[in-house]
Amino acid sequence: MKPTRNAKPQGRGVRQSMSDLHTWAGLLAGWLLYAMFLTGTVSYFKDEISQWMRPEIAHQRVTPDPAAVAQRVTDTLGTVAAGSSEWFMQLPTTRSNVVDSFWRTPDWQPGKRAFQDATFDPSTGAKVVARDTLGGEFFYRFHFQFYYVSPIWGRWLAGLCAMFMLVAIIRGVITHKKIFVDFFTFRWGKGQRSWLDAHNALSVFGLPFHLMITYTGLVTLMMMYMPWGAHVALTTPAQQQALDRQVSAFLPPGERAGVKAPLAPVDAMVREAQARWGRDNVASVLVTNPGDTQARVVVSRGVSARVSTSPEYLLFDGASGKLLDVKDRVGAAAQTRGVLYALHMGRFGDLPLRWLYFIVSLAGTAMVGTGLVMWTVKRRQKLPDPERPHFGFRVVERLNIASIAGLSIAMTSFLWGNRLLPASLAGRADTEIRIYFVVWLATLLYALARPARRAWIELLWLAAALLALLPVLNALTTQRPFWRSVADGDWVFAGFDLMMWALAALHAALAVRSARHRPRANAADRRRAVALRHQEDA
Amino acid sequence: MMRLVALLLCVFAFACLAMAMARHQDTVFGGPLSVTRTRGLRVAGWGALLGALWLLVADQGWALGLVYYSGCTSVAAGIVYGALVGWERRLAAR
Repeated sequence: MKPTRNAKPQGRGVRQSMSDLHTWAGLLAGWLLYAMFLTGTVSYFKDEISQWMRPEIAHQRVTPDPAAVAQRVTDTLGTVAAGSSEWFMQLPTTRSNVVDSFWRTPDWQPGKRAFQDATFDPSTGAKVVARDTLGGEFFYRFHFQFYYVSPIWGRWLAGLCAMFMLVAIIRGVITHKKIFVDFFTFRWGKGQRSWLDAHNALSVFGLPFHLMITYTGLVTLMMMYMPWGAHVALTTPAQQQALDRQVSAFLPPGERAGVKAPLAPVDAMVREAQARWGRDNVASVLVTNPGDTQARVVVSRGVSARVSTSPEYLLFDGASGKLLDVKDRVGAAAQTRGVLYALHMGRFGDLPLRWLYFIVSLAGTAMVGTGLVMWTVKRRQKLPDPERPHFGFRVVERLNIASIAGLSIAMTSFLWGNRLLPASLAGRADTEIRIYFVVWLATLLYALARPARRAWIELLWLAAALLALLPVLNALTTQRPFWRSVADGDWVFAGFDLMMWALAALHAALAVRSARHRPRANAADRRRAVALRHQEDA
Repeated sequence: MMRLVALLLCVFAFACLAMAMARHQDTVFGGPLSVTRTRGLRVAGWGALLGALWLLVADQGWALGLVYYSGCTSVAAGIVYGALVGWERRLAAR
């Protein structure tokens, strides 16, 4: 902690500085981790959020036949992405009503983007006519690479935080000696003790998940964090390619023959895949060198009920339509990675499992949140004058408010922006994201300007109001109000509205509790805090 | 359906395990239970946890079954915890 005026300046050894570093770096990681946890949690419903953010696209009652969709989009790409050496499309599922596609920029030059992307309507194959938005993809990307920093730096930062988290979890388990004795213990209204009990419960109940999600989070980016093994072991491009084949179905385009040949029907290839894996279990189609005799088509298997992201695909000759290769297994190490990766994403799960993921992940968010609040609760009792805390304490307190209550407001504002910004606005998707950050910053300024307790209460109420009114805004600005969604059996939209109300209730409850709470800092309490500290140290 | 049964089984299991602890016996029964009863609760709790695991793996296979099991146990423990906190609060309010 920052030395206060009445603290003695001398005698701060290396260990003390390291402890300071740990505390402050831990706090910084904590703020980022809270944001990573919450945006990651909502990303389990990424596809649903994306659907809600494109209200122009009608509710999808039946999943369209992937084979027909693949053919339609391939036809469109023939004109939209003519001359490109590689096309990729993610086929619609029961949860997604669009085709996300990207392709290599034709005649690429340095300085230009290597890939271009577009979203297509599965029923027509044409580009979707909907407001420009990143949808749920924004929360997902923010979750592991942040924003306004290069993705590489963002991912390193996320990895650093995840490493902190892993250490904190293991350290927490070791420190928490009475893990079984205190398993169901909660002591109400005991200040720091209550916070610790809640923090422990949230940590222990979800422990398998927290350990898994943190470890697998590191695994998803391990090729980036630790590339050296692969660099040393794999010296030739062929070996590097062999590694890529083990982890990804994203094959780079091969050598072109330079002889023109039309692409064989893609729907027939997808049908062959459907015969193997089931009608709705085809994830994506990749076409390399379309229009050339050396064209190749990769049809990848879906992830439904398959706890692994390891590539499984059929490789076709794009000119003749002949099946060239069936990839249905990878090496043991690659499979381990595939399973860990899949566990993190949870994409294999059906709706009940997705909810379990969401709930336990939300508990993880609360675990980080209670950890952050505990930092101030613990130190407030030791302050020389709790009425006038020193500068460092005040900054931490305000940053806690902005990173917990403020984040809820910022995320909801992003959704408000989606409904309020005019569809014709240039750079609309970027403006939505700008709203998110500007609002987040505004909550920090607000928290700095107000007394801490008032700031907590007011910002939590604001979050509750924004969440509760979002379905109203949706009813006013779209053709899909709550009652119509229910009548149409559209549970993506109806469920979204219900979820907003549930989250509003949660924020309102937190606001009420903060308002009722009176921090007592009398002498008896401080004595108890000291006793407690001795107990912990023992 | 089987998954819901497994979740309920987990709730039952954690309720038994909590009731096998002295602190919660005080809260719920107003005093400690006999050693035999406590042991019975503990056996029932662990038995139900194993039963839920068996049910999920039989229904969903090992890969999905284990993932479901992890989720069900976490949520069930949370439910029992919430119920106990509520119980204590009600007692305290009286």
